[in-house]
Amino acid sequence: MKMDLKDDNKAEIWAVGGGKGGTGKTFLVSQLAASLASKGKGVILVDTDFVGANVHSFFGIRRIPKTINDFFEMNEPLENLMIDVGIKNLGIIPGDYRSINPGNITHTQKLKLFRHIKKLKADYILLDLGGGSSNDTIDSFLLADRMIVVTVPEVTAVENLFQFVKKTYFRKLKSIQGINDFEDTVREVWDNRKIHRIKNIVDLVQHLKESSDHINSVMTKELADFSLYLVLNKVKNTMEIQEGFSIRSICLKFIGFETLYAGYVEYDSQLWKNISLIQTTPRFNVSHSIKKDIMRIAENIIAGDQMNISSIRNV
Amino acid sequence: MCENNNNNNENKKYYRILELKPDASFLEVKSAYLHLKKLYSSKPLVMEPIMDEISEKTRLKILDQLEEAYVKLKEFYTAKDQKKIKTAKERVARHNVPEFEVFSGNALRLTREVLGINLKEIALYSGIPISHLKNIELERFDLLPPIGYIKAFLKKYAEYLSLDSQKVINDYLKRFDKKK
Repeated sequence: MKMDLKDDNKAEIWAVGGGKGGTGKTFLVSQLAASLASKGKGVILVDTDFVGANVHSFFGIRRIPKTINDFFEMNEPLENLMIDVGIKNLGIIPGDYRSINPGNITHTQKLKLFRHIKKLKADYILLDLGGGSSNDTIDSFLLADRMIVVTVPEVTAVENLFQFVKKTYFRKLKSIQGINDFEDTVREVWDNRKIHRIKNIVDLVQHLKESSDHINSVMTKELADFSLYLVLNKVKNTMEIQEGFSIRSICLKFIGFETLYAGYVEYDSQLWKNISLIQTTPRFNVSHSIKKDIMRIAENIIAGDQMNISSIRNV
Repeated sequence: MCENNNNNNENKKYYRILELKPDASFLEVKSAYLHLKKLYSSKPLVMEPIMDEISEKTRLKILDQLEEAYVKLKEFYTAKDQKKIKTAKERVARHNVPEFEVFSGNALRLTREVLGINLKEIALYSGIPISHLKNIELERFDLLPPIGYIKAFLKKYAEYLSLDSQKVINDYLKRFDKKK
């Protein structure tokens, strides 16, 4: 594939995750990658969904010569795994979709993968993390420069989302360096939260910060730029669009996670056709209005910005 | 100066309660207030998964904070608007504003230009899109919104230029009726 890159570029890593399956993680990450590429940015999309890799199918690719498995087993350089999907400035590194024992990748192997991912030459590297809130998934999520969660406006999906967001924040807290035995302290305080009268993570953070000036200053510093981008998928009306602000508010006020509502993608009744079995080959078509939705999400994430709450009535 | 600083810090707190950036417009303040008030007063489904982490006391406290933030910020924006009108009035007093018998679109534009006010400034103050303001001045009547809106737009426009808003509205609408 053709990619115009400046040599001294350090790639920015975006990861898309978010708990429940079927909310559109792979759809969103594929569209974001295509959107960034169409703006002339060099983009590499890596399928790091070790359980259900299928990014390639979203691009209509049916046969892949090599997958990420060749990186793990044969030490194949990541660059060699990259395939052209017919979109300028975009390359994808497909995940392993054939193995029947795919979850078997050790943490050490994953760390090695991320070391190599960071060295790839691109403007943006996008990661499809796949579903679930396992510690493994969350650890990968935490390695990204921009963490993006996607959900749909349904109570079951939002339940999983909050769980994912809470776990992510909690793991970040435990990983804070520079305080003696901090991981144990965090766990101890949380396990005894009833005694400490802690109801949620915001209370926990407050409690920890009050324990000493040193802890307060280290925590404040470590959490200063720690933020999350929220995308709402398959929205059907203005009221559902506004729910993005409700989810954000709960993340802010009860999890303490600085969350930005990057945007939404409207429900498209024709989209299922792209990957439906009735096709002879999968397609990568979306409507103009979905492209616009995706473009806005990408722009907000680049700018560290979010939707304007007063503009939603006019949508 | 000190008072001003204090005020800014206080405002920062209120913006945080409403989950906004400190450069938010009044429309954003109002939208955020209405949205969050509804969210925390009605226990909607979106809160269900996190309900056991929110005590009743906390919920009521949030509602109180929202109320306080909105009232205080509303005062702040009103004062800011009045200050703007005052500045505009002082500017009118300094300039030799031509007198027009009839306030046509053209007369409005000339008055505005003598005062050295651009459309962007009026748009920022009034919240009226620039395209509408332009159409008013150019008397592109077919492109203007329904009459109720035109009246409201003219009122804001006249206020900002310190003109007699009732006369502006009457004059302008007479021309509007004639052309139609």
